[in-house]
Amino acid sequence: MATLDLNAISKSFGSAKVLHDISLAIEDKEFVVFVGPSGCGKSTLLRIIAGLEEATSGLIIIGGEDVSNAHPVDRGISMVFQSYALYPHLSVYENIAFPLRVQKLDAADMDSRVQKAAAILQLTDKLQLKPGQLSGGQRQRVAIGRSIVRNPKVFLFDEPLSNLDAALRGDMRVELSQLHRELDATMVYVTHDQVEAMTMADRIVVLNGGRVEQFGTPMELYHHPATKFVASFIGQPNMNLIPASVAGVDASGVMVELDGGHRMALPVASSTVSMGDKVEVGIRPEHVNMGDSGLDISVNVLERLGGTSITYGTIGNGTRFCAALPGDAAIEEGRNLTLCVAPENCHVFDANGDVLRRQAAPEMVA
Amino acid sequence: MMDRYTKLQIVGIYACLAIFLTFILLPFFEMFMASLRPLEHLFRSPYQFWSDDFSFDAYKQMWVTVPLLGRYIFNSIYISFMVTGLTMIFVVPAAYAFARLQFPFKNATLGIFLGVNMFTGAVLLIPLYRVLRTLGLLNTYWAMIVPGVAFLIPTGIWLLRSYLEKIPRELEEAAFVDGASRLYTLRRVVLPLATPGLIVVGVAVFIGAYAQQFLFAITFNQTRELQPLPAGLYEFIGYQSVTWNEMMAAALVGVLPVMIIFLFLQKYLVAGLTAGAVKE
Ligand SMILES: Nc1ncnc2c1ncn2[C@@H]1O[C@H](COP(=O)(O)OP(=O)(O)O)[C@@H](O)[C@H]1O
Ligand SMILES: [Mg+2]
Repeated sequence: MATLDLNAISKSFGSAKVLHDISLAIEDKEFVVFVGPSGCGKSTLLRIIAGLEEATSGLIIIGGEDVSNAHPVDRGISMVFQSYALYPHLSVYENIAFPLRVQKLDAADMDSRVQKAAAILQLTDKLQLKPGQLSGGQRQRVAIGRSIVRNPKVFLFDEPLSNLDAALRGDMRVELSQLHRELDATMVYVTHDQVEAMTMADRIVVLNGGRVEQFGTPMELYHHPATKFVASFIGQPNMNLIPASVAGVDASGVMVELDGGHRMALPVASSTVSMGDKVEVGIRPEHVNMGDSGLDISVNVLERLGGTSITYGTIGNGTRFCAALPGDAAIEEGRNLTLCVAPENCHVFDANGDVLRRQAAPEMVA
Repeated sequence: MMDRYTKLQIVGIYACLAIFLTFILLPFFEMFMASLRPLEHLFRSPYQFWSDDFSFDAYKQMWVTVPLLGRYIFNSIYISFMVTGLTMIFVVPAAYAFARLQFPFKNATLGIFLGVNMFTGAVLLIPLYRVLRTLGLLNTYWAMIVPGVAFLIPTGIWLLRSYLEKIPRELEEAAFVDGASRLYTLRRVVLPLATPGLIVVGVAVFIGAYAQQFLFAITFNQTRELQPLPAGLYEFIGYQSVTWNEMMAAALVGVLPVMIIFLFLQKYLVAGLTAGAVKE
């Protein structure tokens, strides 16, 4: 197993530049998830790591060895495709054995490896079937089986769960995490679903427009999003972003005046802003409570989920605001509500979307 | 489902089919009727649809009138199979290249192939004659096979290319990532999936080969033993009379083997023409 280093990878298709100078150091046995909106270059980056696409510039280093120009097999990677890419005319057994047949492995060795993979993936009694006779989840497992028989150093997954229905996706998430533990391998996983990223990743790479916005553990991204983009991408429901202006700056933080006139003193790094600057204050829906003084919100829509009540409304001059409140909270659609929020739970982003680091937030829990 | 029709629509569909089939099948029927009639009936007026002296005599007599008939039938099929086989050997890798690889002048080349399709062999007979003479191929099987192959390759490439393009690219990428070479992938993944397409193209080429051999045979070949059936049928045209009934019988017997092959391939043909279902 091995580390994976990307060194200043850029990629252009003709005149369109889709990846900008991406450098990442992925550790041995790490489960790293690339997450970002559709079209941000996740698949392209993964295909460059796989060797299916050539980087315009930059180096790919696996296990300390420069493999930028190597064949996928020599890189020691294997890949699971979004569409599974199973061979419909071959049995499950032959699908899993395909990479070994290419290697011309002797029959006994091949059979034992296929059987072992099938056992791990609970496919032993399906080996003689054709892919067309399997369910979506089983096909997914066959695709994974094909990728593990070669004992690659790095596994690459491109949105492997996006073709499954929601319930099955949850199960497969757990199975994949288990598989990662069993195989003890480095895995790179691409998804546009932040829930998959948060639940499975050791560390997450957030991509936006072909650039790395942030690379960190799920809780790092949650507590210390580096940019407004990361803040609004990670977390369900999305973080509220409220336009505000800086009303005072001192060593302990900044005083902001929110849209609607509410003032708060927030304990964030204050060296890069000055009086009067436009900023945005980020408040996660789960960080507000009902109270007597604070933000006044007029409730438009209320979703009672049982455990929580998701409340959608507006504050100030029509800025949208979402709050996750207790399940049986006394709220009604069309009424006004006062919410209070602890200053240390607020995020502040400058006009460029960069964060002013929170000083009171939890330091990193591993 | 889409294929639910009202009674009226079904009647309409069958009526159209009937008209269409009449046009296609009536000549065959008339051929068969003519082959059963004694020769003098053919010129009798008024036309008699049925008479009592119908017989299969022509089917016996034709082998006597044209002693080489069996040889001609064999030649026809042999030439068509050779043309089909050779054409497919060239068409498969070429169509794959056009479907998957990027190279300069790819579209221009395809355009030229389409352009070549517009010419019939007839336009090029004289230059072809000179080429074949230079190569010393006149009056051999090759004189009928080589031009046949040349004219059918473009059609074959166009047909098979569009079929290969429907095979998901990810299947080949998966094989590539697993270390398979292009040729291995072609053999183990692409061609098995393209089998219905290969059969459709093979049949189209075979029909083409069968249809065009007449022209090449009468211009490039004078050796009697090598003539295919369409050229051989000329021997039924005697000095005094044309034995139409025997000629029709011979023509029917000549196409019979081809028809039988088609009957067996029919299910693949239908599968192939409705393809695109490769994607899971
Ligand atoms: N082969 C290609 N040719 C041209 N543009 C491409 C190609 N592949 C991807 N792109 C472009 O690169 C960008 C990133 O694509 P992709 O990596 O597939 O995004 P994601 O997987 O994050 O949705 C998109 O804008 C896409 O249009
Ligand atoms: Mg993608």
